[in-house]
Amino acid sequence: MSQLAVGHKKYRSIPNKVLLYISWRNLTSKKLRSGLTLLGIVIGVGAIYFLLSFGIGLRDIVTKEVLGSQSVRAVDVSTPNSQILKLNNDTTQKINQLPHIQELSTSFTYPGSLVYSNSETEGIVYGIDTAYQDMTSLNLSQGRLLNKNDVNTIVINVSTLKAIGVTNQKSIIGKTLQLRVPLANSGAKQKSIQKNFTVVGVIDSGAGSEVFIPKFNFEAAGVPVYSSVKLLADNTKNLPNLRKQIESLGFQTTSPIDTVDQINQIFKFFNLILLGFGMIGMIVAVLGMFNTLTISLLERTKEIGLMIALGSRPKDMRKLFIFEAVLLSIIGAIIGIFAASALGMVINILMNIFARSRGVTDRFDLFVDPIWLIFGMIGFMVLVGLLVVYFPARRAQRINPIDALRRE
Amino acid sequence: MADKTMIEISNVTQSFLAGDETIQVIRRADFSIKDNSFNIIYGPSGSGKSTLLNIISGLQRPTSGTVKVEGRDIYTYRPDELANFRANRIGIVYQTNYWVSSLNTLENVALPLNFLGYSRPTAEKLAKQTLERVGMGAYAKKSPLLLSGGEQQRIAMARALASTPLFIIADEPTGNLDAANGDKIIELLQSCQKDFHCTIVLVTHNIEYLPLGDAILHIEDGKVVQSSGDTVATTDQLLAELKTRLDQMKRVKK
Repeated sequence: MSQLAVGHKKYRSIPNKVLLYISWRNLTSKKLRSGLTLLGIVIGVGAIYFLLSFGIGLRDIVTKEVLGSQSVRAVDVSTPNSQILKLNNDTTQKINQLPHIQELSTSFTYPGSLVYSNSETEGIVYGIDTAYQDMTSLNLSQGRLLNKNDVNTIVINVSTLKAIGVTNQKSIIGKTLQLRVPLANSGAKQKSIQKNFTVVGVIDSGAGSEVFIPKFNFEAAGVPVYSSVKLLADNTKNLPNLRKQIESLGFQTTSPIDTVDQINQIFKFFNLILLGFGMIGMIVAVLGMFNTLTISLLERTKEIGLMIALGSRPKDMRKLFIFEAVLLSIIGAIIGIFAASALGMVINILMNIFARSRGVTDRFDLFVDPIWLIFGMIGFMVLVGLLVVYFPARRAQRINPIDALRRE
Repeated sequence: MADKTMIEISNVTQSFLAGDETIQVIRRADFSIKDNSFNIIYGPSGSGKSTLLNIISGLQRPTSGTVKVEGRDIYTYRPDELANFRANRIGIVYQTNYWVSSLNTLENVALPLNFLGYSRPTAEKLAKQTLERVGMGAYAKKSPLLLSGGEQQRIAMARALASTPLFIIADEPTGNLDAANGDKIIELLQSCQKDFHCTIVLVTHNIEYLPLGDAILHIEDGKVVQSSGDTVATTDQLLAELKTRLDQMKRVKK
């Protein structure tokens, strides 16, 4: 038996892997009890995850609807007093020199009227550049957008098309329209722009009649002040600072991110209410878990006393219980998230089928599964598990082996 | 037989508070246990045997006095060192055996090795050898709770031996067994002493086993009297024991 004569001189303690194994064996040896406890956690975690998945999904849909195609990095610059501070070429250059601007566009907006064959309609005329098109996605449905060197081309939206009585989008491409934009009170040299334009594209955005022509036409007419200056920051992080710098030049700024912030604010409150409902399930799960761990402790007092007598450190016995709680938490959380996510996915599919039958073409997700929510939920459950196991684990550590193993 | 001292108990006193009263369980115990010897602690119930064992095994700090193992006072160890000392140096066999119920026989036997930091495969490999040593190799995958008392006691022996300890403390290991099974356990203890050079500390009620001891510690009312295992002392003690037994039986009759 000499091979058994191992010198255990080195001071070590039980490997975590072995402790984890004992925890696992203990949980699996009480299948019904562990299973029911797990079910409690699954329901608790699942309820919270399901509700938050819905809250976040809804927020995303609302944000998307409100923002449309605007970028959260976009900033609209305006002047608080157009008589004193003008948005002209000089001031725009000054803004453009600020750091962290990826793109800057200037545009003109005036009301105008449009004549095509026998019909005439009123609408808003935008004088834009290509940067404007980059920043505002115009949702092209036919033809093309404006090119850099275009002069007498025009892009019109679907509402305009309806107003002039054209139903076939394709048929309008290449046709000529007559546009008249009065420039009174604009300080321009010319009294109006009155020209023929060739339709190159049809877009599907905007509520009323809107048409887009190259801004060169307004510049050539001598309009001195831009109606709007839009810019795109290179990074959302640089956005607040950039806005501050522009505002220090005397201008006002607005950004879609303001709206997003407001939406987030409202949904923070909404999600808190949902979380409150979910917490009811969580409390039940926590009570179940506490009950299981406490009973397990009482049942295993002798076992723990034995292990301490055989040479385990009391703090390892605490760890044994912590491992059991963490195992229950992680497994319960994963199953709970999986189940809630699957349920959300089914509802998403059903909602989309329903929406499509009502003529909605865009796919949407009412329930979403952001990575941060998944890991946040698991982390949260582990934290809850650690809190629940605190007292049982402390009692396990304090078990006196002599008392535990005393013969009755 | 080597004459080296393994365990040295000096002036150990243990008292407990019960209400306002202080109960002396061990009174100034002074004795030593030699390396590779077979020691028998024997005395009536409630005489302080278990308390003495708890003190020797590092579970119960005595009220006063020192317990030296291999020349070092074990109660100067830090708690973690003391735990390591128990896993490393002592094998314990109880009268009633306790198991970690979710683990099988082999895993239970491997526990003391796990407590020493061994991974499961290594610990179980060594545990398998000790299980085979006590003739219980075939029961490795079974739950120890399903086995008979005698089988459980042999597995407990394997568990005590697994970490090849310096000494084995057996607290009335035959108490719940029939004579044949009890004898087997005692034989195992004897062979442990011989094969592993273990020091054996056996607590027993059974006067039949007294002649087996190299040294006998008689304990009564907390007083420990040590006698070497020579015949005269043993015979005296046998008679004393018989007398107490008879007295007890008379009392029961009344």
